[in-house]
Amino acid sequence: MISEKFKAAILKELKLSDFEIQDSTLASQVPGWDSLNHINVIVAIEKEFGVRFKSIEVLKCKNIGDLQKLVNTKLNQ
Amino acid sequence: MKFNTVWDRWQYNAKNTPEKEAIVHWLAGEEPVRWKFEDLLKTANSFSLQLKKNGIEAGQVCAIIIRHNINFYPLYMGIVGAGAIPAVLAYPNPRLHPDKFRDGIKGMSQRSGLDWIFTEESLEPIIRPLLDQHTSIKGLHFPLQWDLSFSDTGLQEELDTIRSNKKPEDPFLLQHSSGTTGLQKPVLLSNKAILQHVDNYGESINFSPEDKVISWLPLYHDMGLIAAYHVPLAYGITSVQIDPFEWVLAPVLLLEAMSKEKGTLSWLPNFAYNMLADKVPDDELEGFRLDTWRLAINCSEPVRHESHMRFLKRFSNYGFRQSALSACYAMAETTYGVTQTTPGELPAVILADRQKLAEGTVEIVDDEAKARACVSSGKVIKGCKVKIVDEKRVEVPTGKVGEVAIWSVSMFDGYRNYPEKTAEVLEDGWFYSGDFGFIHNDECFVIGRKKDIIIVAGKNIYPEDIEDTVSKVTGVIPGRVVAFGSDDKELGTEVVSVIAETNAAEDTEKRKLKMAILEAGINNDQNISKIYLVPSRWLIKSSAGKPSRKANKERVLQNNDFLME
Repeated sequence: MISEKFKAAILKELKLSDFEIQDSTLASQVPGWDSLNHINVIVAIEKEFGVRFKSIEVLKCKNIGDLQKLVNTKLNQ
Repeated sequence: MKFNTVWDRWQYNAKNTPEKEAIVHWLAGEEPVRWKFEDLLKTANSFSLQLKKNGIEAGQVCAIIIRHNINFYPLYMGIVGAGAIPAVLAYPNPRLHPDKFRDGIKGMSQRSGLDWIFTEESLEPIIRPLLDQHTSIKGLHFPLQWDLSFSDTGLQEELDTIRSNKKPEDPFLLQHSSGTTGLQKPVLLSNKAILQHVDNYGESINFSPEDKVISWLPLYHDMGLIAAYHVPLAYGITSVQIDPFEWVLAPVLLLEAMSKEKGTLSWLPNFAYNMLADKVPDDELEGFRLDTWRLAINCSEPVRHESHMRFLKRFSNYGFRQSALSACYAMAETTYGVTQTTPGELPAVILADRQKLAEGTVEIVDDEAKARACVSSGKVIKGCKVKIVDEKRVEVPTGKVGEVAIWSVSMFDGYRNYPEKTAEVLEDGWFYSGDFGFIHNDECFVIGRKKDIIIVAGKNIYPEDIEDTVSKVTGVIPGRVVAFGSDDKELGTEVVSVIAETNAAEDTEKRKLKMAILEAGINNDQNISKIYLVPSRWLIKSSAGKPSRKANKERVLQNNDFLME
């Protein structure tokens, strides 16, 4: 389940006023989340939650829901 | 050694260095899969047999739409071995609407006459509807499912005959430029063009059997296909191929492969230098060494000196050397390379007076504030000639800016089934590139483009495609849109900006319109970075009656009031 904090971090980084993000949403479906911006979004999420991802961990995420789960796992460690 | 065809050269490598690694197929987080020259060619022959069995004839165009796969390489070679013509097409980005994807292939098919599509079963629902749309496409094949143990003496004899009858002038491959509004140009290259290019370009970078190429470049792009795949494969050296989709999400993969495989060569568009320097965290680089990297060749978009310096500063502690920074100027129409900087020498940078440059004269100055730093793309390689011409295609003296025209022994055979476009750019054996540049100290400097093509991360984007998309968005006044590229120094590349006329006046209305434009872009795989919404009749028209990109770009950049944040 996508948290409000998680969604807000993404929208802020991409300068979007609003956009619906669900577990199954793909990064490529979010306006502005392209290959050039991808790492900026990841860094923004890392900063917001005080976590660090390895590239390979992010690579294995199939959708934004997986990325949220990754954040949750890191926070619980 | 003299070879008639590229297949002959592959065969020579398979016999001469059977156990040498030809291709290392890189997979993030897994052990790479390694093709040796002999096994690769044997498997390619198995694909050729299956092609014959499936009725594919010599000379037919076989489009390949397959994501990073271990069997991509022998399939590609097997198409060549069956006398057919391979054409690698981009794998659909998930953001691209299936209708748009089909429109792109339909456009290519109508222009270049694609005969068959070789793809994955998972793409069948997206691609199959094309067969009912009156295109030249005869059918789909799923070669990854083929039985490669199949053999047939009769078919093998037919293949042997096809191969021995092939001539150097025969078409070898087809490449398509990007674009979705019918602007794609299919570039046809012969065996001879490829073979000569392998030798001439190889010489310009001091290619040796000890070299090892590391590449994440897509194989539908000339830099990926020719420089990082064909050149090493024909030369008999190893290339490591990384999935481009994985690389953009994890740029560290290039450095990991370079370090672990002890790579020596790579080709990169300029934005990749910034991305690698800025976006790879230190902890992911632990234990990596880049000492073996002898050339990092910057190509496909304007070379920026500051990107080079940023990269050097970041990676010198890991063994990356300044002498490895390199640049070249290349295009699909000349097979690939035209100029290349001298290996081991940092590309020359000159400070040219910006105003004088705009007026067409190169004047070297010391004052950085007045200057534009121009980076050399190097000297003309063997087998090529370059001249700078004016609007009437008359050569201008050294030190003057003009269009770059090229003569090459590896010149393309024209745009397939597009004689009028070929005639526009090819005259008396010279290719008129549409790029602006100058010659200084025998080196070529490319500083701009005649046309308004936007280059985002090495990918050519036609403003017409973006304007077409945005014009159709409800709320935008149709036809009253201009798209242009603007430099993003942080990213080291251009980004797409759009100015659209609208009658929307309220803030909420404009925000909704901004989102609608962004989403329309996404559905067409176009990322629009900046949107300026302007009132009706704001756009300046050119003498031809169309909104002028240059004039409107200058006008809108003077006033940020219209930028939608």
